[in-house]
Amino acid sequence: MNNIIKIKNISKKYRNKNGEIDAIKNIDLEINQGEIISLIGPSGCGKSTLLSIIANIDKDFKGTINKDKNIKIAYMLQNDALLPFLTVYENILLSLKIKKCISKDKIDYINYLLKIYNLEEFKNSYPSSLSGGMRQRVALIRTLALKPDILLLDEPFSALDGKFRLLISDDVYQIAKKENITVILVTHNLEEAITLSDKVIVLTKRPSSIKKVINININKPTIYEKRIDTKFNYYFDELWKALDLNE
Amino acid sequence: MSKEQKEYLKKLKKEKYIIFFFQLLIIFTFLFLWEELSSKGIISSFIYSSPSRILKTINSLIINNNLFIHIWITLKETIISFVLGISMGFIIACLLYEFKLFAKVIDPFLTMLNSLPKVALGPLIIIIFGANIKSVIIMALLINLITSIITIYNGFIRTNEFELKLFETLNATKGQTLLYLIIPSSYQTIISSFKLCIAQTLVGVIMGEFLVSKAGIGYLIVYGKQIFNLDLVMTGIILLAILSYLLYKLVITLENKLLRQK
Repeated sequence: MNNIIKIKNISKKYRNKNGEIDAIKNIDLEINQGEIISLIGPSGCGKSTLLSIIANIDKDFKGTINKDKNIKIAYMLQNDALLPFLTVYENILLSLKIKKCISKDKIDYINYLLKIYNLEEFKNSYPSSLSGGMRQRVALIRTLALKPDILLLDEPFSALDGKFRLLISDDVYQIAKKENITVILVTHNLEEAITLSDKVIVLTKRPSSIKKVINININKPTIYEKRIDTKFNYYFDELWKALDLNE
Repeated sequence: MSKEQKEYLKKLKKEKYIIFFFQLLIIFTFLFLWEELSSKGIISSFIYSSPSRILKTINSLIINNNLFIHIWITLKETIISFVLGISMGFIIACLLYEFKLFAKVIDPFLTMLNSLPKVALGPLIIIIFGANIKSVIIMALLINLITSIITIYNGFIRTNEFELKLFETLNATKGQTLLYLIIPSSYQTIISSFKLCIAQTLVGVIMGEFLVSKAGIGYLIVYGKQIFNLDLVMTGIILLAILSYLLYKLVITLENKLLRQK
């Protein structure tokens, strides 16, 4: 497998008037094309910071990130951040408008995604008329519309309840596997990390570094089937021990 | 429409009429008492005037072909100052948002200007701009501009943090964030600032007319005071009250129309 991104010796400090705080210390990571990896670790350990660094939002860090210049990265947040004054369709087009990459290809792709996620009839509705799950799907389409090579997901399902959470994480899983998109997911949910990922990276508390890498090998086509597979409990146990709640 | 809905609408309409009736009652009682107390000599009609004397003054102003000229001048100065105040306030708020360091630099000066009694600058304005309409507009701008800058800028900085984060994740430029997020999200605040601005503009215009003008409602009041014609002073005050009410209503209608369109 080809490395799509190589993270070498990344360190990051937060600064304020009172001094510096180490957020991330010496993280090395190689991520392959089409791989889904989860970052898991204690709250505030720097998972989201690492995503911001990869997304080139946070430029104040030490170390290097090697990736092809033409690689497209899209970022999806925990909050759907749909703009209330734009319709569903306008919200989706927004990402293309900002990236200045509106094309017939991408419009067709948006229409296709709207159709498969049963959102076509809500195209001209405003976000306030949608349920939480529908809103998050719109946010997902807005992210996917960019046809990214790497998809960064920062706890994107945490605001959703059980069934929708499973449905939307399966949407992401299916589309990532079908289109060979590399996914880096930040989550607190062990179940989500196991069922979605090929690899789970366990981070230590701040300053975060890699504590353990667990390769997941549950060969099932859907999230639901992975969840009821017998291997699931084994990985859950592994992760539980690695997280060490007394730490 | 159901019977209950019809009754509900009827109740609303009735309430509207009752409110209107009491409002008229207050006005007419006030005018009646004013007229009576003045004609019976309980209050001095020379100082406090009376509704009939005000009507006579208005009539003579109409005969001399002066009334509408004065109203028009005040109205013109108010509209020019209002439009300038809102548009300059909007542009400056955009600049402050785009250049945060600049915003921090001028913050104490804005606070100082906001709390400074602008009338103190009157003599200086007359010397610099002359005794003409320009000085009136500058005086109105000094009063309404700071308010519109602060109101619009506060709307800008209250933009939802998740929406801002989204633009950050899309690596949007500052200009794109302003154009696609900050301005549209602050639409309601911008429109609401019209209300504040119109009231402040009238204060500034009248203050300006007191200081320099040769026409306008403010001028009528000052002129009336100078020649000790207190009927003219009262007429000016009544005209001003009516004008400010109408302008405020106009701005509210415009505001509602613009907000409904969105």
